[in-house]
Amino acid sequence: MRPDDMLEYVLSSFRSDWRRAFMSSLGIIIGVISIVALLSVGQGLYGGVSEQFGDMDMDLISVRPGSEMVMGPGPGSRPVLSSAEPAEFDHKDVKIVENVLGVDAVYPLKTARALLSFRGDNSSVNIVGISPENHDDMKDSVARGRFLTGSDYKAAVVSSDVAENSFRMKISPGNQIRVYSADKSRYMDLKVVGVLEEDEDPSYASNDGIYVSHRAMKEFLDSENYYYDSIIVRARDSAEVEVVAEKVEKALSRTHRNEAYSVEAMTTIFESVLEVLNMIKYALAGIGSISLVVGAIGISNVMMLTVKERTHEIGVMKAIGATTWDVRALYLLDAGMLGLVSSLVGILLGTLVSNFVGSVAMLPMEVTAQSVALGLLFGVSITTVAGIYPANKAAVLDPIEALRGE
Amino acid sequence: MALVEISNLEKSYRVGETDVPVLKGIDLEIDEGEFVALMGPSGCGKSTLMNILGCLDRPSRGRILLKGQDLGHLSDRDLARIRREEIGFVFQNFNLIGRISNLKNVELPMTLKETAKNLRRDRAMELLESVGLGHRLDYSPSNLSGGERQRVAIARALANDPSIILADEPTGNLDERSTSDIMDIMRELNGEGRTIVMVTHDIETTRCCNRVIWMRDGTIQEDAS
Repeated sequence: MRPDDMLEYVLSSFRSDWRRAFMSSLGIIIGVISIVALLSVGQGLYGGVSEQFGDMDMDLISVRPGSEMVMGPGPGSRPVLSSAEPAEFDHKDVKIVENVLGVDAVYPLKTARALLSFRGDNSSVNIVGISPENHDDMKDSVARGRFLTGSDYKAAVVSSDVAENSFRMKISPGNQIRVYSADKSRYMDLKVVGVLEEDEDPSYASNDGIYVSHRAMKEFLDSENYYYDSIIVRARDSAEVEVVAEKVEKALSRTHRNEAYSVEAMTTIFESVLEVLNMIKYALAGIGSISLVVGAIGISNVMMLTVKERTHEIGVMKAIGATTWDVRALYLLDAGMLGLVSSLVGILLGTLVSNFVGSVAMLPMEVTAQSVALGLLFGVSITTVAGIYPANKAAVLDPIEALRGE
Repeated sequence: MALVEISNLEKSYRVGETDVPVLKGIDLEIDEGEFVALMGPSGCGKSTLMNILGCLDRPSRGRILLKGQDLGHLSDRDLARIRREEIGFVFQNFNLIGRISNLKNVELPMTLKETAKNLRRDRAMELLESVGLGHRLDYSPSNLSGGERQRVAIARALANDPSIILADEPTGNLDERSTSDIMDIMRELNGEGRTIVMVTHDIETTRCCNRVIWMRDGTIQEDAS
């Protein structure tokens, strides 16, 4: 029997028995919907998170004092904290980093929680000590007033969130504010010189921050040893950021031998998050595949019933000259066509479902060619595999016995 | 050379531990153009003989030749080819496929033989017209009377121009009028030179046969021309 004739024969059986075709394809349709929808939910998460990360500056390197996790002695041991003392970074280290080849700018930061008091209202904020002259990146993002200069002393720039939303009255340039230390033992009066634009806080700081010079910060904290919490380094070329990170680490290791600190490019952090998201995406697709397998078992069952119902017809086919191969191929094609049609329907519905989920969850949903291909491949191959057993059963029927069956 | 040569043909079925013989040494020759009636009581082995002759079953012992080819030693694939090309079956219960049209039913043996689409369509139309059903081409067999269905079945049996037509009680389910119609067609076919072997219980239908074989208990009891 020629393939086009087989196809015509199979299609005629779908037409005459569309309820059977529909019932058996339902499982596969649902399976493919799950694969396509779950893959695109995964893709949406992936896209959503990369968008968030996209706001971050990918040319940044974060240098932080503190212990890194290191592997303990012996095979199979769990990671433990290194016993080295945390490194202490000061202005000398800033100079060292500034001199590393490929470094564009260096932002030493010192952050503390503080209570901000403004016209009788209090609010908890992050107070961030910075070197104003280094922050070319923040100068252009001042909405009102101006940015700090090297000569400012008890002056502050306030982030938009703190200025607009934290107090009954909005904070404007020229206002006086008072910051208390966390234990309220000290305070400092500051003059607001500028308010940042909304969403324009640098990605390395929190958006409920007020920014002061290191000089003011040192006085506010009133500690003898003033060390930076972190040094943010901007690489000249974002493509070179990992190389620059290595050079920074090397430069610092000369003065901080046997001390604990980490030098991490933002891209590295970003990549590891994306890797986890990728794993989540395929785990979701795995869940989708389980429903597909359940669907395939359904198809196999319905096909077994069909073979039983059509025993007589198979007998007739064999009596008038169909070979074992003809019968086997007919029923495999039957399963494969069911798989193909159900997969296409599943892909269509899966796309609708993921668009719906995307609009509800506000995620950038995307049905990729990859998820369509996966849906199609799994749908067709699993149904065809599910058809093998019933098709073989039909093919090896004894024609005399089959003709007796009704 | 005879069209069919059967010598010392035996067939037994295994039931539990014992072999139950159904055909016990049949010797028979059928020449081209003969119209043979096969008669006998139920269980005498005539259907088994028809099944072996129709390549649906294999003999246990002995030899059966169709056009000189030993059917006992062919692969399943070759047996299917012989069923498709050399044999035309007409069954008591018609055995048409209800969900495809009469035309498609008649085309089916040619479809299996991979005949070109237009050729098989023309041939099927011609055959249905020759049995008086040219106006029922696209009907489903389920919309036809018993006599009409059997005519479609005869048209299907002729599709690949077989060497022999095997009819297993073709009028067993039909009324008198349809029986006479079907026997007229059979006679016409035989008149055109076709070889027909027909199992029947109805002595009336043997009138148009030129040979009647009586079977009893797995053997040929009488062979009358």
